[in-house]
Amino acid sequence: MTWINFESYYITIVILWTLSLVFLGLSYKTEKLFKFSLIAVLLGIISLIWFDVELWIELHRPPMRTLGETRLWYATFLPIIGLLVYVRWKYKWFLAYCLGMGILFLTINYLNPETYSKTLMPALQSPWFIPHVLVYLFAYALLAASSFVAIKSLYSFYNNTFTENDLKLADNLVYIGFAFLTLGLLFGALWAKEAWGHYWTWDPKEIWAFLTWMMYLLYIHYRHFHISNSKEALLILTAAFIILLICWFGVNYLPVANTSVHTYTQS
Amino acid sequence: MSNHKNQHNLWDFPWGYVESFLIYSGLLITGFLMEIFFPLKTSTGIVFPYNLFILGGLILFIITLQLFFKKQLFVKWLGSVHAAIISIVFIAFMVMIMGIVPQIKTESTTIQLLGLNSITSHWAFLLILFVFLISLGLVTFKRLLNFQISNIGFVLNHLGLFIALSTGILGAGDTIRLNLELEEGKPNWKAYNNKTKEYVELDFAIYLKDFIVEEFQPKLAFVENEKGEIIHNDGKNLYLIHQNEHYIFNDFEIDITKYLASSGRVGEGYHFVNDIGAPPSAHLSIKNTKTNKTINGWISSGSFLYQYESLKIDENLSVVMTIPEVKKFTSEVSILQKNGERIETTIEVNKPFDFDGWKIYQLSYNEKMGKWSNTSVLELVKDPWLPYVYIGVFMMIAGALYMFWAGNQFKKENNHDVD
Ligand code: HEM
Repeated sequence: MTWINFESYYITIVILWTLSLVFLGLSYKTEKLFKFSLIAVLLGIISLIWFDVELWIELHRPPMRTLGETRLWYATFLPIIGLLVYVRWKYKWFLAYCLGMGILFLTINYLNPETYSKTLMPALQSPWFIPHVLVYLFAYALLAASSFVAIKSLYSFYNNTFTENDLKLADNLVYIGFAFLTLGLLFGALWAKEAWGHYWTWDPKEIWAFLTWMMYLLYIHYRHFHISNSKEALLILTAAFIILLICWFGVNYLPVANTSVHTYTQS
Repeated sequence: MSNHKNQHNLWDFPWGYVESFLIYSGLLITGFLMEIFFPLKTSTGIVFPYNLFILGGLILFIITLQLFFKKQLFVKWLGSVHAAIISIVFIAFMVMIMGIVPQIKTESTTIQLLGLNSITSHWAFLLILFVFLISLGLVTFKRLLNFQISNIGFVLNHLGLFIALSTGILGAGDTIRLNLELEEGKPNWKAYNNKTKEYVELDFAIYLKDFIVEEFQPKLAFVENEKGEIIHNDGKNLYLIHQNEHYIFNDFEIDITKYLASSGRVGEGYHFVNDIGAPPSAHLSIKNTKTNKTINGWISSGSFLYQYESLKIDENLSVVMTIPEVKKFTSEVSILQKNGERIETTIEVNKPFDFDGWKIYQLSYNEKMGKWSNTSVLELVKDPWLPYVYIGVFMMIAGALYMFWAGNQFKKENNHDVD
């Protein structure tokens, strides 16, 4: 009877994070109010982690299988990343973005509860499952954040308000995100070897994950050698994010979908 | 993409993005022409010792280029950032084709002619990959020549990738993958090779003592009588069937008064039976809270031998039991060696067994028979290059951890804009 109590969690968290956003906005006028914003974010994150744990226990399996469950982890990770980035670089607008995304993901889940099944097919019952998925989700959340920076920066190009600093934030997010993406890809390969006997089969999901990886590789190299061509770098970053989106949920709609071992759609 | 500050004519040194793009386009077109006129029919790959020679040749070639020809235009280009960036773009392009066109047999003659459904053995892909590998190797070797400890991240990432890719691609031809079909109570030593379509005699036999399937509880579902479709309770999951469980669905209160994991219909109801093909069943008591009427009855998922049974609760709805999903399947086997020794072990999904250079995996079973299957299919895999691929993989893992730890170390002052 999963998800039954999601409603109360949902309402609590959304109220907390909305309050946080309000205080964040007000803090541009009255800086003192910002600590309330931080407290509200933190309380929201704690409630959501609490819910994740409860769901995990309720399901008797890690809740990392369906799209809805992955969204839940996004909603958990994004505000955490926003908070960490704030602590490190003091970007309030970035925290606001992460909160907004967190609320959005929770709302999508609230409006479209999918089938949450307790059963887990044998191939997924592996010690690699959790690290593989967690590492990937964390990478995706960071990279999604970096592309938001890219879009904001492209926009500021037109207003001539662009500063190199914004791109530095994108670089940092991409670096850490890419490290995690690499780990996710490699853990996946090691797991596949244990489960199916091949570490790489060019399965559609693997193909798109590899493409995503190549796109960020491109960004890292381009950026490293053309530090002043900001606009091109931003365009690469935007393109990379489009590929990431296809990888994340587009694969199911491509003609190659039915040849994938990664679509666990249930009856 | 390049913004050259001075007037720069095509093919003047240094070669930039345009030249790199032209070179890789040349490879691409050559590859496609070769694919049209002499397609690579087999996908068996290159086998030992030729793959080792090629790998050795590749490494020697890279070393020679750097040590003796590093002043050559072409060698400088191979090791340049422009070549690296454009090569990544072209590989991504080929991989993207693979990600869009299903890599299976096709009716379409255009796809067939251009080889778009077999990218991994496509000339264009292989040519591009080859030059890319030389590029990557050269870049890495250059850095290794004047190695400093601060380059450790660079070396782990680039050398790791080079090792993993080169040994993975060249070693693919030496992997052997055999299917061994086992029947309970019988040994078998004749395995089937899917690639060569031949049976192979092993040096040992495997005897299947027992094949065991564990299942999850079956689920309870509501079905629309007319359409026969399952209704999800506002998208929530189907209920697992446990004895004495109580569920509420819309206007219905459901009590599972009895659950039998293995049963057969006798007269009015189900009774415990332990025969082959005996399906699970449950007795339900369903109260309609609107009309206060209660319906009692049995449901059963059925099996390959027996009919399923549903319970109609009103004109629109019935209750059914889904076929239990598989939780785990295990083969208990003895490996019989020529010298008379036996090894007893169990093999299950995600828990392969290592024996005599083989990794033995649980592959499948007779799914129609479900948990009563008395056959089991094992897969035996020999992958002699795997340790080398893993060296590369673990270097890359270390490289990624290093990247995470060191973060982005771009600093304006020591950053050189190449243009
Ligand atoms: C695991 C994947 C890779 C990672 C994480 C990575 C990362 C990096 C980083 C961080 C740099 C600049 C830092 C430094 O100079 O130390 C760099 C430089 C470079 N990378 Fe990569 N890279 C990867 C794969 C590749 C590939 C596939 C190529 C293509 C051939 C390539 C070609 C280059 C080149 C040419 C340089 C400049 C080398 C130099 O200036 O000596 N890299 N890479």
